Amino acid sequence: MSGELEGASYDLHAVTSGTAVAPSGVPHERELVALAEAVVRGEAAELARAREAALAALGAESFVAAAAVAANFERMVRIADATGIPLDAPLDAISAGMRAELGIDRFGSAANTPRVTGPRRALGRALSPLARFLMPALAALSRRTARASRPPGR
Amino acid sequence: MPAFDYAGLALPIPEALREAHRRAWQGLARPGAWWTGAERVAIAAEVRAARACGLCRERKAALSPHAVAGEHAATPSLPAPAVEAAHRIASDPGRLTRAWYEKLGAAGLSDAHYVELVGVVVTVVNLDALHRALGAEPEPLPEPLPGAAARERPPVVEGGAWVPWLAPDSAEARALFEGRSRVPNVARALSLVPGEVRQLKELSEAHYLRIADVIDPRARLAALSRPQMELIAGRVSALNECFY
Repeated sequence: MSGELEGASYDLHAVTSGTAVAPSGVPHERELVALAEAVVRGEAAELARAREAALAALGAESFVAAAAVAANFERMVRIADATGIPLDAPLDAISAGMRAELGIDRFGSAANTPRVTGPRRALGRALSPLARFLMPALAALSRRTARASRPPGR
Repeated sequence: MPAFDYAGLALPIPEALREAHRRAWQGLARPGAWWTGAERVAIAAEVRAARACGLCRERKAALSPHAVAGEHAATPSLPAPAVEAAHRIASDPGRLTRAWYEKLGAAGLSDAHYVELVGVVVTVVNLDALHRALGAEPEPLPEPLPGAAARERPPVVEGGAWVPWLAPDSAEARALFEGRSRVPNVARALSLVPGEVRQLKELSEAHYLRIADVIDPRARLAALSRPQMELIAGRVSALNECFY
């Protein structure tokens, strides 16, 4: 199972299995994943090793950014799981196949998202290759509606 | 010494990150919509207590967290459902269930109190996680500011989450989400307490991306490519068993 971002293709199994099992192709993946794992587990010795390796591989500025992203998602997962939000449409349909293959559907919080039914699953499969065009278009539309609703002079 | 000065670290911590952290700490100390400043700081203290809590450790290791009974290692300043919520959200978020949430409600924790508590918990988790990653000591909790909670409930609807969220066509929602046509559910999740969404937006922008830009795959930080950012984000989410 691969995903495309910034014009390149990456193996997504690294997200659920770690890079030792499934290399993703993302530059410095080993150090980034080790840092993410150490932040979640919170063991001091593992953190020290991951920090040192990430600093050496990425440099100080990128290391700080990587640490900030990891910490950010320690927050985001708790918001999602503590409030029981469902996955947003149409992402729920577009990502149905990917979620099944990566094993994400077995997570307990999957119960918060209604099952994607046959017709929507088929639509999701059809839209999936277009996601890299669809998502920027939705983001641009959202920005335009925000600009349009802004009071004059702001 | 100002808070979040990272004086002992030889790392280039961006000023925007420091400032966002300072404002988050000031916000933590102030009375909120449903909890006083003292209660908010007490909730923050429970987040830290959860790391050393024997019950949380046993539950995390158990096949089912519901199979382990006992009491949290907690200060007596908060009601028991609030302590349970703070500890479980901090220590074992991937196995929270709607039944667990409803039990808290039946024990007297209102939906609004719960949402604000989630906002406080995740702020402390976020900042403490960054400090761990950087090798910095946790920032001392702020001194609570006096005053009563505002107790203002905005117009809300049921949107498919456990908690209600701001009615999308309300003036409050238009102001909070800047009139955007697409607002991800994770941004709506805490909108029963709009102040917690403002906090989320500010911390998200300082640590990752503006919430409004997350769905745009072209958005990225200067120091990391988007695939690198998403690899970290995805791995943290998977380890927490977060479906969202």
